[in-house]
Amino acid sequence: MYRGRNRSKNNKDAEDGSVRGPNSALTQFLKEQGISAESIRQRWLKSREKEGEDDTEGVKKEDGEEDDQSLSASARPKREEGGIESADEYDKSDEEDDEEEEEEDDDDADDSESRFTTQGRLRADGRSVETRLKRFAAESEDSDEEEYDEGMSSRTISETPVPLQQEDHALKLKKSKQQLQQRRRKKKRAAELLDRKTRRISTLQDICISLISSNISKLQKETSSSDETLSQQIRQTLGGISTENMNKLARTLSKNRALNDHTLQLFLRTDLESLTFHDCSKVSYEGYKLLAIFAPHLSELSLQMCGQLNNEALLYIAQKLPNLNALYLDGPFLINEATWDAFFALMKNKLKAFHISNTHRFTDHSLRSLLENCGESLVSLRLSRLDAVFDYSLVPQYLKNPSFEHLSLEYPNKEELVSDDIVIDALKQVGPSLKHLSLNGCFALTDETFISAKDALSSKNSSSSVLENLQLEELDQITTDGMVYFFSGIQLPNLKNCSLRRCFLLQDMAVSELFLNEASKSLTNLSLNSLKDVKGECFEAMECPKLKRLDVGFMGCVNDKLVKCLGERNPSLEILEVFGDNLVSRKAVIRPGLTVIGRQSDTL
Amino acid sequence: MSEITLVSKDGSELSLSREAADLSPVLRSMLSRPYLEEQQSKITLNEIKPDVLKKVVEYLEYCRQYRNAGEDEDIPEFEVPTEMSLELLLVADFLNI
Repeated sequence: MYRGRNRSKNNKDAEDGSVRGPNSALTQFLKEQGISAESIRQRWLKSREKEGEDDTEGVKKEDGEEDDQSLSASARPKREEGGIESADEYDKSDEEDDEEEEEEDDDDADDSESRFTTQGRLRADGRSVETRLKRFAAESEDSDEEEYDEGMSSRTISETPVPLQQEDHALKLKKSKQQLQQRRRKKKRAAELLDRKTRRISTLQDICISLISSNISKLQKETSSSDETLSQQIRQTLGGISTENMNKLARTLSKNRALNDHTLQLFLRTDLESLTFHDCSKVSYEGYKLLAIFAPHLSELSLQMCGQLNNEALLYIAQKLPNLNALYLDGPFLINEATWDAFFALMKNKLKAFHISNTHRFTDHSLRSLLENCGESLVSLRLSRLDAVFDYSLVPQYLKNPSFEHLSLEYPNKEELVSDDIVIDALKQVGPSLKHLSLNGCFALTDETFISAKDALSSKNSSSSVLENLQLEELDQITTDGMVYFFSGIQLPNLKNCSLRRCFLLQDMAVSELFLNEASKSLTNLSLNSLKDVKGECFEAMECPKLKRLDVGFMGCVNDKLVKCLGERNPSLEILEVFGDNLVSRKAVIRPGLTVIGRQSDTL
Repeated sequence: MSEITLVSKDGSELSLSREAADLSPVLRSMLSRPYLEEQQSKITLNEIKPDVLKKVVEYLEYCRQYRNAGEDEDIPEFEVPTEMSLELLLVADFLNI
């Protein structure tokens, strides 16, 4: 996930010439040296111009003239004998981003020209100009550059007079600029699609928020001392903004990796009751302490990627936030066992929701401490990717709250740690009230769980459940029979989100049964990604009036016809993901209002 | 389509098409049946400064113009001056646009 990515701390790194993004080391080198496709082309055009002048003066070069030292020779000096090396350079430089190419056009042309000219002169081996030019034309024909200047006179050796060529050149430049713009637009559109953004016009609120966020980070870079007062001013103005926009601002700041101790101040001294920070990696423990002091009304706090949250800060949060009852932490690996103990003791019978993921310091002992102190008050529990928890059987022992709603046990350290028995026991305790069940990555689970879940989830006198969210990703041992039994035995009239992603054994019958369940009337999000054994018959029974997003990626059965049919059968469907479905082509009929993402034919 | 008049803090008036005004749920409901605004086709927004309101009208018309834009059609960026962004955010929040 995000951990693998090492982002450069500031733009300076990029300027230093370190390799970043999709650029290869060679591309970077070429960029540093000022070698780009455009500069080579420019130089060649110039040389053509000169040659044209020579021609009009009546100075004709004879074929095979041995001592040809004209500039036209320098047009492609290395490419002559440089062989593979130079060809490589040429091609690679073409690969650079559009923007980069554009920027370099002006800056580097002069630089590289002089160098190349010298080299060219040294290397000029006396072959005729024409042969060289011809070869140049032939070689460049299959380069990417062609896209930018189709019909370029430089491709062939023309005898066009100079002024005409210049006009032509201006026209070309204009055309290539337009093409670049078009490319950029397409890129932007693709980026928006990948963000699952179907609305092409952003809301005015979003426009403002992104502008504000970009200014906050810009100001921070520019001023170091006065920005505190500035943040304060901004915050004062923001004081009247709804919580939703406040959280939107937090999300945008997180997305730009701009949330730190300074921007954090925007959220202090407010009446906010709920706050979510998606990326706290730059917030220091001092920042958390400030948050605890100056946002005393917080009852729900989510700190994702909170790597700098230390023992002192966690206890501070527990002490200073009297209303806190929900805490969601991701990556709090500085917190040790003793502190967890102290924290849960402080939060005894207060904590209603506790989610924790990605830490190796949350142990069996910590889990016991959590459940002993807060087990009765808890209504929401999520344990995900905890490498030091081995005894998940503690969970069913302590979950007693009759209104328990959210249970997530995800990605245990070893697959056998979350077994059928443990999940069945837990569901027996809290099943009837459960609204969210997530068992992603508990590979050891089999049909047994779902055979028991049918009874455990349903309330006493009926065969329906209040479940709204069911996540069963990567359960590769559950079978079609098991799921048919489950979906036919219990009605899920409130189910909104369901993911059966990568449950490889499931076939058409299992999915059909889901569509026959009452759940089909309420579903808004469904993922069937990678169900490779589904042949497509199940979609005949599909009618989900509220379905907005459907992921049918990597399902071999999805084709143009099915895409059309899915659009027609689900009137509310907005996003259909078809990544890896190679039978979906550009011919697919897509109804207005539906966005299909991931078609192979939708290339830039 | 009828024209709607918006009145800003200092009393200055700005007009926009009904279709554009309908894009804001708040304005739309103000222009619906039981309210006085429906008859007058005039909405007074005492809290909003004239320059901000002008930008809002500009945005609503921009939305109206481009909301049905085709896949290949180019939609220009909507420019917001930095110094206005905060006030505009408050207003956009209020108007739910």
